[in-house]
Amino acid sequence: MPDIYTPSWYEEVKEAMNESASRLTGVPDGSFVVAIEIGGDGMSPYVDISGLRRFLIKIDQGKCQWYREIANKEEETELSNGGVNFRFAGPATAFDEIAAGLLDPIDAALKGLVKVRGDMRFLMRHSEHVKALLDAYSRNVVTLWPQGMPPYGVAIQPQGQEASSNISTSEITNA
Amino acid sequence: MRNTYDAIIIGAGHNGLTLGSYLARSGLDVVVLERRHEEGGGLATEELTLPGFLHNVHANYHTFVDMAPPVKDLEVRSHGVTYVRPEVQMASVYDDGTALVIHTDLDKTCESIARFSEEDAQTFRRLYLEAHGYVDLLLGTLMYQPPMSVKELTKALASFGIEDRSEFLGVKLRRESINWFLDKHFTNSKVKAHLAFHAAVCGYVNDLPGLAIGFPLLVGKIDNWHLCVGGSHRLAHGLWRDLARNGGVMISDADVVRIVVDKGRAVGVRLSDGTELSARKLVASTVDIEQTFLEMVDEDSIPSELRNKIGSGLAHQKWSLFSVHLALSELPHYEASSFDPDVDRAWVVNLGYGSTGELDSDWEVIRKGLLPKFPRPNAAVNSLYDPTDAPEGCFTGLLRQFAPYSIHGEGPAGWDGLSNWYAKQCLNTWERFAPNINDNSILDWAPYSPADIPRKIKNMVDGDWMMGEVSLSNMLDQRPLPELGQYRTPIEGLYLAGSTQHPHGFITFGPAYNALQVIADDLELDKWWNEI
Repeated sequence: MPDIYTPSWYEEVKEAMNESASRLTGVPDGSFVVAIEIGGDGMSPYVDISGLRRFLIKIDQGKCQWYREIANKEEETELSNGGVNFRFAGPATAFDEIAAGLLDPIDAALKGLVKVRGDMRFLMRHSEHVKALLDAYSRNVVTLWPQGMPPYGVAIQPQGQEASSNISTSEITNA
Repeated sequence: MRNTYDAIIIGAGHNGLTLGSYLARSGLDVVVLERRHEEGGGLATEELTLPGFLHNVHANYHTFVDMAPPVKDLEVRSHGVTYVRPEVQMASVYDDGTALVIHTDLDKTCESIARFSEEDAQTFRRLYLEAHGYVDLLLGTLMYQPPMSVKELTKALASFGIEDRSEFLGVKLRRESINWFLDKHFTNSKVKAHLAFHAAVCGYVNDLPGLAIGFPLLVGKIDNWHLCVGGSHRLAHGLWRDLARNGGVMISDADVVRIVVDKGRAVGVRLSDGTELSARKLVASTVDIEQTFLEMVDEDSIPSELRNKIGSGLAHQKWSLFSVHLALSELPHYEASSFDPDVDRAWVVNLGYGSTGELDSDWEVIRKGLLPKFPRPNAAVNSLYDPTDAPEGCFTGLLRQFAPYSIHGEGPAGWDGLSNWYAKQCLNTWERFAPNINDNSILDWAPYSPADIPRKIKNMVDGDWMMGEVSLSNMLDQRPLPELGQYRTPIEGLYLAGSTQHPHGFITFGPAYNALQVIADDLELDKWWNEI
């Protein structure tokens, strides 16, 4: 069980997304890069109040090739080869809650908590694939919260993770 | 005048200028040709009554400010364009002396609605907040990208489980009318009438099936109505400045009579004075489909089937707008101000529609080519928020009444004998609700009928200020025809970028912005504007 926003956590997220994607047909051709920007909001202990954590995800033929944290815009430009295709940006609490399975990512977008930029037509045309990736991100990874999980300071477990210490990611994914 | 450009754009309305600016900023050598004496198209501001009174002849309401990407991308505000967002946006005054007021402050709006129905106020708050949450997504999905099909959209909404997540959005909206939506969610007839009236002013008729799909978006921007200080033409001038600053050229009094096609490709245009201009890369038309394909293009340049479809009649709005422009010495003081004083500060006021049934009856009459016997125009007083549009101590006024383009039995020419009389009927209605608007306070007035619309702006065929019906069968990739729904045409290098295209008329910038995406793909331009 990896800590939230650590390299081993990204790896688990990647595996969960790919496992989910492997069950789909008609995944989008080609590769694209997704940037995630998580802004400090004074509530999440994982992002400084005025800080910004940046992540990049490379998707190729529907599968996540890599998922990593980056330091700045320059690194984003370099790693994405100058072209981010989609950007999801929002406050840390929203992303923490999504990772904890407490906030549905589609609800977050509909409520404007997470802003989405990029070719919306592409996202709509590949809605099943997008939904599968988002579901995997938010539900299929067992996460540790070393500084507390949202709502911070309250000891609750996210949906589907009640017995997380005894269940592997693949078991949950297959449930 | 030079004779060769990379891009020739026909029509210097806001779409033509917007497309021209983007392309000029992309390094193309651009000319925008305008048949009239000035740029702007529907962004026309003229002294229709007395000197010093600036009247917006067509476009008055700018509801996509700060939502449409070009406003930021083209730095519109740096070119002398100033917008005001009136804090009291809109109101309805009713026959019983009551009034409903829409503010930029949601709490105040809900307080106003609650005077008619507490339940409706709560529903409106939920609807507004929900719509406000996804307005960016809807704009990005439905307005500012080349359109998807209804089928694709429906599939995506189903995949994302929108119906389970949203109280107000749903796949079934694509079959339903705004009346259906209002009846499903609201209870009070006056509240429903105001919301239906607001939709109609935006071009969305409340009784047409399928338009409910756009209603949440309309509510999401119900308080985003902006006024262009100094008149709407200032926006056209600002866009022209951006074009010029980036090396583009706008030529007025340049009447394009022919799009020159060589081996299936648009290679230039010919003007009415015989001048020929060559296009190295593209020609884009922002004028109506009829002019583009039936007048400007040789008969054998497009498939006969397409030509026949266009010739047999495109879908145009079955209604238009009758306007009365006024020079006033007083601001209107509504009797309903004793019920709600804020109505006197409302930029736009619906004079009397108190139920959706009253609107429905008028649509029925208008579709028959008749005039509603008791007009219920809407009244806008721009000077409330822009004192520069009239001499000191004076004010402009604008009455707009839903009306037919073609008078039954007489055609559009029938308006010539009716305009003054009908203007007085409209003025009588205003005086009934605001008794100080009378012969003493009206310094001058000028009617502007639906028949006058295409006389000034040829694009607006049949007085259709939306340049194509807003209806289920004429939206998204079906607008204006399935063959032309993606901004390309059967003629290589000829693009469509005017309000005939998705999304529709109004000052949306959408047709130009979306055509730009297609042109950029075809010419492999760097999409510098598309910063993700």
